[in-house]
Amino acid sequence: MKVPRSRLFLAFLQVGLVAFGGGGQAQIYQSIVLKHRWMEEREFLETTALCRVLPGPVFANTAAHIGARLGGVLGGVLALLGVLAPGATLMLLLSFAYFRFGAVPGSLAESALNGVAAAAIGLILATMLHQAPIALDSLKAVGLALVVFVTYGLLHWPLLLVLLLTVPVGMGLYWQEAAENSAHPRASQGMEADERG
Amino acid sequence: MNVGEILEVFLAFLRFGVLSFGGGMANLPEMARVIIGNGWVTRQEFADGFALGQFVPGPNMLAVLFYGLSAAGLGGALAAALGMFLPGAVGAMWLVWGWAWMSKARWSRALRKALVPISMGLSASMVLVLVQLSVDTLFWGLGVLVACYLIYRGLGVVWVIAGGGLLGLLLGLTTG
Repeated sequence: MKVPRSRLFLAFLQVGLVAFGGGGQAQIYQSIVLKHRWMEEREFLETTALCRVLPGPVFANTAAHIGARLGGVLGGVLALLGVLAPGATLMLLLSFAYFRFGAVPGSLAESALNGVAAAAIGLILATMLHQAPIALDSLKAVGLALVVFVTYGLLHWPLLLVLLLTVPVGMGLYWQEAAENSAHPRASQGMEADERG
Repeated sequence: MNVGEILEVFLAFLRFGVLSFGGGMANLPEMARVIIGNGWVTRQEFADGFALGQFVPGPNMLAVLFYGLSAAGLGGALAAALGMFLPGAVGAMWLVWGWAWMSKARWSRALRKALVPISMGLSASMVLVLVQLSVDTLFWGLGVLVACYLIYRGLGVVWVIAGGGLLGLLLGLTTG
């Protein structure tokens, strides 16, 4: 299906304006699948699962992917700009204000930001708790996660080194399972409202 | 604003962007080490930039605009965002055409499975560094746990984030 690029851009711009609090993925779903009917449900879930594997936020990746699918490379670029522009503009304004007026330690702004940071860390923890039963479903999965945490989180090895060591080992561990024909990506992982980052 | 500086910022964030598997902010520990080490932000500013990133719609990784701005002005901010978001977006667009080939390959299924627990380990590392950078009192340590509990039980993320900010404001008013 092909969609005019201007309509594509506007749809994603609207999503970018309201994607507060990590609801971005759900907003794309609402707009593209339910409202505009540019994609089918199953296609969307598979897209999300694939975009999760890529580096970068799933939200931005999904926008770029759907944009490119519906409007070519230019469509992908426009969709990405659309979802990022509102947040980026606001972020720049906030940053200018921060560096202009400063947030002195002990000031009100600093205190409020401490509270926001605590809540945001709680959000990451809660997301991990939700995912843990599925993500850490076997001994090898727990082991792999632990090795990453110890080398990267505790010992501060460079991320590139950690990934170069653990990704091939991990692929080796899952090589057997990957042979079984599971052609359908896990749809259940596709749509979590707490998608963040 | 100088071009060399901006290029340096772009390359640093391009590297973070390529390596940001597992939801985007998993490379936060390394990002913190590198950009604090480069003198682009202080520890406090890093934590504050992260917190500001929670206020804007879209991915909270937009915080890289803050870090880039601090490092090299407006050009630095745009360079940081470009470096951060480009690798994933280019990959996502490529998938439109490479998908059929990739889903058949055994290595790609193994990769997809392996990345799930690896990204859990990355997330745990990210929580650790964030706690070290921005939670310096027992009060906010408990705050993290309460926020986690509320979100886990299904309370809207926006409310919990706003609540955290409000609580911080009140705390600042009473102690300041």
